[in-house]
Amino acid sequence: MPFHSPFDIQARPNRLFAQTLSCVLFVLCVGLYIQTSAKRHHENSEDRVVPNVHQLTGGIHASVLEPAEEDDYLAPDNTSKWELFRHSMIWKDTVASGKRFFTSLLLLVPAVILALHIGLFPYFGAGFLRFILFFDKIVALSLLPILFILFGIDEASKIALIVIGVAPTMILDVTQMVKAVPREQIVKAFTLDANNFDVAYRVVFRQVLPQVINSLRLNLKPMMLFLFAGEMIAASDGLAYRIAIMRRHMGMDVILPYVLWVAFLLYLIDLSLRVLNRRMHPWFQS
Amino acid sequence: MVSVLNNPPEVLSNLPKAQQSTAIRITGVSVSYPVGKNHRKTILQDLNLEIEEGEFVVVLGETGCGKSTLLRIILGQELPTSGSISVAGSPVERVDARSGYVPQKYSLFPDRTVLDNLTMGPETSRYHILGRLKPGFRAFRRQVREEALKQLQHMGLQTSDAGKYPHQLSGGMQQRVAIAQALMMKSRVLLMDEAFSALDPGTRGSLQRLLRSVWSELKPTVVFVTHNTAEALYLGTRLIVLARTSHSDACGSRVALDMKLPESGMSLNRNGKEFMDLVHHVESFSCGVSHEPISSLGETI
Repeated sequence: MPFHSPFDIQARPNRLFAQTLSCVLFVLCVGLYIQTSAKRHHENSEDRVVPNVHQLTGGIHASVLEPAEEDDYLAPDNTSKWELFRHSMIWKDTVASGKRFFTSLLLLVPAVILALHIGLFPYFGAGFLRFILFFDKIVALSLLPILFILFGIDEASKIALIVIGVAPTMILDVTQMVKAVPREQIVKAFTLDANNFDVAYRVVFRQVLPQVINSLRLNLKPMMLFLFAGEMIAASDGLAYRIAIMRRHMGMDVILPYVLWVAFLLYLIDLSLRVLNRRMHPWFQS
Repeated sequence: MVSVLNNPPEVLSNLPKAQQSTAIRITGVSVSYPVGKNHRKTILQDLNLEIEEGEFVVVLGETGCGKSTLLRIILGQELPTSGSISVAGSPVERVDARSGYVPQKYSLFPDRTVLDNLTMGPETSRYHILGRLKPGFRAFRRQVREEALKQLQHMGLQTSDAGKYPHQLSGGMQQRVAIAQALMMKSRVLLMDEAFSALDPGTRGSLQRLLRSVWSELKPTVVFVTHNTAEALYLGTRLIVLARTSHSDACGSRVALDMKLPESGMSLNRNGKEFMDLVHHVESFSCGVSHEPISSLGETI
């Protein structure tokens, strides 16, 4: 059997081997966790820093089927599982964070439109580009106190933080995409009697849209980061608020499932955008 | 061949001057760009040309002599430093639908199928972005699609190609669609910038024949930029060679040769001495013009 070096660029691992290899780190992490947990619980059976499987199951149960501490208690005997879930801690927090997240996502649409105009219309470029280049260098988190003073500690300040944190980078990114559309395409469109808005929206926007979606996928994590920053400082619900609360009680049995839940949600949004891109733009993959 | 070289242009032109009207008029056009401080590089210098309706003008010249610049200023993509251009009697100040355009690359919209590429012009021309909501749009679209499918077949493509995206077509097929796209607009002026340069000799030959037959049928005014002398002699009814008068940056290219060719096309033996002499004669006006080895001309002429 020939020796396969991991540093062989021209190597062709078979599918099964590659899939097995991709699982190795996950298995290692789980194994390491179980071992550490067992060791700590051997030393202290009440350990809460690295909860064991039993503690984690309890934490997940509490998150998924029990209401938050600040909410009314629902008797499990008289209520269906679905109702219990609808009034659970994780559902309430996910809905609260989701509202903020998707409102911010919606507010990024005008930013993309602005970027399209900056990249395409010379007067827009002259007017906006330098300002946005400068604005992009401002650390968004440093604006948080100002946002709290201006908008209060309600939803507006958290949403504004996400938009201010992500929009300038996104605008610059999309502007570059628009500028990269071959000039020939724009000239060609004008020879086909297109007007300025036809060129902008029916030629250029359509061509950059798949890249815009990819850019959005890359910005999902920064968006969540700014959302967490806002929620951890001032909120009465939300995924980051719950994690912050649980930290005070050393509630690792709830924090860990929450962390994995947030990662899963982001993965799901990313996957949806990827599938959407593939379905909407079959020409782009090639 | 001797007659081609010796006869004055008027004798070779099939159409009497009186019956022709000017499609493109270029008057005293110079184009120069700033290079560093207090210095300009002249690309075109005091160019005067009148291109009649229905002429097939091939512009030939060495790399950097301003062939594509000339095309861009006719198109309106670039404005001359001095002088004026008019197409169909009105001055050119911006790109518009008076001229069809077939570039060497990026000639089709990658996000649209072949059929959508073909219908885009007529649809946009009649219904701009919000006009598509008007009631007559669907019927108009159906009609344009039928026309586009006919045009596609006319260009030697199958109707099954209509649903394909440009990346699923070969380079030659893409250029066929690009020509069809320009023809769908029924523009009287067609500008082609090295449109066949990236193609292999076989495909290039078939596209040259196609373009010639389309031109013979519809008689649009064509300005075709190429660096291939053989291609120029095969396609054109008029050959314009641009050449720099000096190596100085202050001197741009001028018309070194303006020669009419038989409208029926050059019927010379592609490997014969006569043809080679003609090629060398043309190239002598522009020593930098690339001339492919004679073996590769077999498919083109």
